[in-house]
Amino acid sequence: MRFMMLMIPKGYESAAPGAMPPAEKVATMMKYNESLQKAGVLLALNGLHPPSMGTRVSFAGGKPKATDGPFSEAKEVVGGYWMIQVKSKEEAVEWASRCPASDNEVIEVRQVREFSDFPAEFQDAVAGLPEMQARAGQGGGA
Amino acid sequence: MRFMVIIKANKDTEAGVMPSEQLLTEMGKFNEELVNAGVMLAGDGLHPSSKGARVKFSGDKTTVIDGPFTETKELIAGFWMWNVKSKEEAIEWVRRCPNPTGEESEIEIRQVFEASDFGDEFTPELREQEDRIRAKAAQQNS
Repeated sequence: MRFMMLMIPKGYESAAPGAMPPAEKVATMMKYNESLQKAGVLLALNGLHPPSMGTRVSFAGGKPKATDGPFSEAKEVVGGYWMIQVKSKEEAVEWASRCPASDNEVIEVRQVREFSDFPAEFQDAVAGLPEMQARAGQGGGA
Repeated sequence: MRFMVIIKANKDTEAGVMPSEQLLTEMGKFNEELVNAGVMLAGDGLHPSSKGARVKFSGDKTTVIDGPFTETKELIAGFWMWNVKSKEEAIEWVRRCPNPTGEESEIEIRQVFEASDFGDEFTPELREQEDRIRAKAAQQNS
């Protein structure tokens, strides 16, 4: 099963453009990342620039409307994520608990929807999904 | 530049309502366009937060809280990872996206941190470690 571990740092919703995590924090986190990788559970990991550098697109009435960050109403935002492959939610929570996180941080553990999770009547509509996911990323970059 | 494009949750995604066959078909076409343009690096949907958990950190102690989580608007229902030339290009792609939940929906666009964003604080040793971890994770992924 795949799980996303979403890092939610309190206060990041109002961080200034260009804000960076402290260098010693990066070094500590890299050790944790290495432990995930050595255990063979790590599929991907990425950090996100603050929402003040981002944009939200809403679709009210079917019309896309873009609004630049920061988003004043946001109470929490994602600062980064890990994608892991484990046997159970318990194992995912176990990994999240080992993270060298600070008191202001919360990690949300969420299961990824696999092709087989779609009910039978939807299988036709999503039949192209596995192939598409396999082709994605072949252009490089990640 | 890489952007994480986040589909925000609403009451339907949190209730586990499956998208209509029409929306799945339209989304499949959109995904195909993204793949053909070499933009899409990854994409996944998440199960509702009721199947997830949060880990809170306080000093050396961790507390696990099972979902669902109440701030529905802040939650994530799915995401893409895109490789594009600018935030504007990412916004253009999002504007062409079929309304992702078929109702009131919102998509958040966030730039991904690259090693070069960290400057000198990110030492050659840390960079090497990062490259190694990513290469192994990519192998794991394929």
